[in-house]
Amino acid sequence: MIMTRLASILFFAILAVGFLGQADVAVAKEKAADNYSLYCVQCHGSKGTGRGINAPALSVQPRNHTSAKDMSSLTDESVFKSIKEGGVAVGKSTQMPPWGGILTDEEVTDLVKHLRGMCKCEGKK
Amino acid sequence: MTRILALAVSALMAVAAPSAMAADGKALVESNKCGSCHKMVGPSAQTIAEVMKRKAPDLFYAGSKFNKDWLVKYIQSPTTLRAGGVVYLNSISLNGEADVVKDPPKCASKLSAGDAAAVADYLMTLKDASMKTGVFKPGKVKKARARVVMMKDEACNACHVFPGKGGGISCPTFEGIGERLNPDWMYSFIQDPKHWDPKVWMAKRDFDDATLQLMVNFLMTAD
Repeated sequence: MIMTRLASILFFAILAVGFLGQADVAVAKEKAADNYSLYCVQCHGSKGTGRGINAPALSVQPRNHTSAKDMSSLTDESVFKSIKEGGVAVGKSTQMPPWGGILTDEEVTDLVKHLRGMCKCEGKK
Repeated sequence: MTRILALAVSALMAVAAPSAMAADGKALVESNKCGSCHKMVGPSAQTIAEVMKRKAPDLFYAGSKFNKDWLVKYIQSPTTLRAGGVVYLNSISLNGEADVVKDPPKCASKLSAGDAAAVADYLMTLKDASMKTGVFKPGKVKKARARVVMMKDEACNACHVFPGKGGGISCPTFEGIGERLNPDWMYSFIQDPKHWDPKVWMAKRDFDDATLQLMVNFLMTAD
């Protein structure tokens, strides 16, 4: 009887942990999507194709985040660095600003994952 | 004796006038429901969800941010300072693959000159006490150098319109910015935009004082 009780407590505990973990992931993903909307869409566009409202004023076309060909040519580390330190840090345009003073490292890491979801591609190894 | 009494009454009125005007301004802000769009009490939005509910710029630090003379004019006849809207995400729609701005809502304020002056007086009392004043040092405007820093090195024109040069529209225009904003506030905002708006879509750079002075001096003459 006691064993059955313990087993059911353990079962529900495992379920609860599972749900919590899932909730964490879901929140993290949504946060990255929200951060993308607020900070990236102004140049990269709501579709992520590089055609945001600021794009016509830029001398360099913002990167198309949905392009598997373009995005798979970049390592996750270089994408992280360009978001955090700006385009100059990876030899690209100054028009990509450094978001490290606004976003945490964790938020930038989540954004890299979000971009990989947008391009449906993996980073260059 | 009558003369002395009249003088004393005039002196008292002169002293009392600013607070009376400020009180009128506050009443006008309330009767005109400015608070239905503007945040009149801090803090600024702390989450992106809160940002998305923003209809107009925060005014709870208007006295730190704006120049009074400009406020008096603007309140009588508002113009568009943010072509992309206050929160650009709320103003965009898709045209094919490209985002375009649909008409952002305009401020409905159309006060008389007297009421606008009273409101401006009140708004100028709304300050962020932590902002350092007297920081901006007016100096010779090095336009060429400032343009290199702001348009090439930092690409401020990616999001802001430069007078006569164009630029992005997700952030306020630089046209008339010197008339509009307090240079000490500009200095503080460029130095640490998150202090004023934790979710601001402007990057924070580590500028030294000389670069900040260069930029603010340039902006003060941008028209």
